[in-house]
Amino acid sequence: MSATTPTIEDRAVDVWDGRVTLHVKVMGSGPPLLYLHPAAGLAFDPFLHTLAERFTIYAPECPGTSPGDPHAIHQVDDVSDLVLIYEEAIRKLDLGGPPIAVGQSFGGMLTAELAAHFPGLFAKIVLLGPIGLWRAEAPLANWIAAPPTDLPAMLFHDPSGPAAQAMFTLPEDPEQAVAAQAGLVWALGCTGKFCWPIPERGLHKRLHRITAPALIVWGEQDNLNPVVYAEEFGRAIANSRVEIVPDCGHIPQVEQAETTLKLVNDFLLE
Amino acid sequence: MKVSMFSQVPYRRLPDDFEQRYESVVTTPWDLTEPEEVHASYRDALDQLMAAARSGFDGVAFTEHAQSSYDMAPNPSLLGSALAYATDAEGLDVAIYPMGRSLGKTREPVRVAEEYAMIDAISNGRLMAGFPVGLPYDASLNNGVPPMELRGRFEENLPLIRRAWSEPHPFPFNGTHVQYPSVNIWPRPIQQPHPPVWITGIGNPATMQYCLEHGYGFNYFGWFGATLTSRRIFDRFWEIADQMGQPRNPYRMGYMSVVCVGETDAEAEAEYGDHVRYFFNKGLGSIPLERLALPGSIGLPGLRAILTDPGDFGLYFQMRTATFPELAEAGCAIVGSPDTVAERLIEIATEFGIGQMLAMLQVGSMGRELTMKNVALFAEHVLPRLKEVHREEDWDNHWWPERLGGVPLTPERTMEATA
Repeated sequence: MSATTPTIEDRAVDVWDGRVTLHVKVMGSGPPLLYLHPAAGLAFDPFLHTLAERFTIYAPECPGTSPGDPHAIHQVDDVSDLVLIYEEAIRKLDLGGPPIAVGQSFGGMLTAELAAHFPGLFAKIVLLGPIGLWRAEAPLANWIAAPPTDLPAMLFHDPSGPAAQAMFTLPEDPEQAVAAQAGLVWALGCTGKFCWPIPERGLHKRLHRITAPALIVWGEQDNLNPVVYAEEFGRAIANSRVEIVPDCGHIPQVEQAETTLKLVNDFLLE
Repeated sequence: MKVSMFSQVPYRRLPDDFEQRYESVVTTPWDLTEPEEVHASYRDALDQLMAAARSGFDGVAFTEHAQSSYDMAPNPSLLGSALAYATDAEGLDVAIYPMGRSLGKTREPVRVAEEYAMIDAISNGRLMAGFPVGLPYDASLNNGVPPMELRGRFEENLPLIRRAWSEPHPFPFNGTHVQYPSVNIWPRPIQQPHPPVWITGIGNPATMQYCLEHGYGFNYFGWFGATLTSRRIFDRFWEIADQMGQPRNPYRMGYMSVVCVGETDAEAEAEYGDHVRYFFNKGLGSIPLERLALPGSIGLPGLRAILTDPGDFGLYFQMRTATFPELAEAGCAIVGSPDTVAERLIEIATEFGIGQMLAMLQVGSMGRELTMKNVALFAEHVLPRLKEVHREEDWDNHWWPERLGGVPLTPERTMEATA
């Protein structure tokens, strides 16, 4: 993992006929890699820092989750709006060719939606525990309605491990702690607009449209989004490979960072 | 001052260890109940409100809560229509006040307009139309509305309902959340252009401002502890009114409190204490915070304000285990002799400019007999004194049905003109 902290640039992209400014964080150097963040908002973790050594990461923030612009979410009514907003932003970023796309959980669903709506948009896609499917016998846990104390066990196979502990430690400064908590809750509300009450908006009908080569990575002990869906993603996307990560919950890139990095790197080098 | 009786429809025989084992909403197991107790809850609640209607109260009020053990009232219009008919049949001139249908929750706003119009027609113009934004657990968990949409739906639905009530011709409606090809409801309300509209809030300044901008009444529930929260809430409301240049007309402000009247202070505490504790421990105190504050339901500035200063929540965080003395001390309930209760309520109404007092006279496990006694003692000793409050001040009451002495606001008769 990288010891230095590379600079992160904020690129504001006006989309949706000027009603939304999508803030895209840009970091690293190399070919373009689009990263779509999970429901809790964008965080640059060691996984991304390492990828930034070989790729230029473009990480758009879901409307509403960018600091100072919480009301942007009210310009986006549904998944269809969101997909069009992201597609427009990707075009306007002018990346010089189809980028790789990596999405985690909520971001995985959005990556799959984009790839299904616009089959030529991405060179390859990596879906890390993507939500978006629902079967009655394997309901997803409701992370938006859960008490905060339930989240570690919902997100991690080992909630007492260092990865989980680091994620749930608040800043010591009280003002920063309030800002962090409020920002997290608001981000869950913003992304929740596209997941509530059931995080299923018909993606299963569209997955077959995906033509980009796909890697699907899933934590074997995912308590939020059961691993049974990995197989369904793999079956529906023609050119895909499924990798199940042992001793791992819902966030493979954090809980099993090295294993996940190797899987992703190998796939991207193919 | 106008004085109404407020009641919920609680299940009154929950087990002693309920609050250690269950939450009071959403997941509460139905197999804790007995059918005859469920029936008795409704029969007694309606009988008790009718007793109040016969005893000189100005109105009868009730709420909407679905999947809730402390208030089995998923649709308050059903209670309202029963009371509208029964009071009309007996010639009782009381306001019928569902406090009301949550407009963040409903996916059928025209249905709500129709139900309220029916109650107004059945009661011959005695409806007071309550429209809260709604509690997140009820709107979002019980009815599937994304928490982020609650306020947007509320702000779309209320003008649509107003229009459905008063527009003379059929109209199509193309909203963000609902679409209708033709709205032309039968019946329209008796009260035109609309029955008095009231919004119950918990202290969000945006809701207060909305009420003031649109000329609606604002109602506050004192459950979190009047001693802890009243000054914050009511000062906030009147300061916003001042900033907007609106008069401090008390009749636009409602206040709901648990009230228990005994012969003496000691007797009241002995008779009512356990029932009060039951309500706060097993009811309100057993609604976990995450049910009341779902992500998306509170805006970012509001979140920061609550995290920095949770004072608007009063005693809520201790409520699941609070003792009766703690609850009484915080003002969650006003319990005592007729003099004690009357003096405290008059003090609150005078100090905070309240023109409608809503007395919750059945609480928690309180049975029919004791509730009827509470209603009778309140009606005989407290009610006449409360009615005198604000009498000398000469305000018009724009938030009360015209048939019952209200003075409706119309384009021709604005608040400024009558202040």
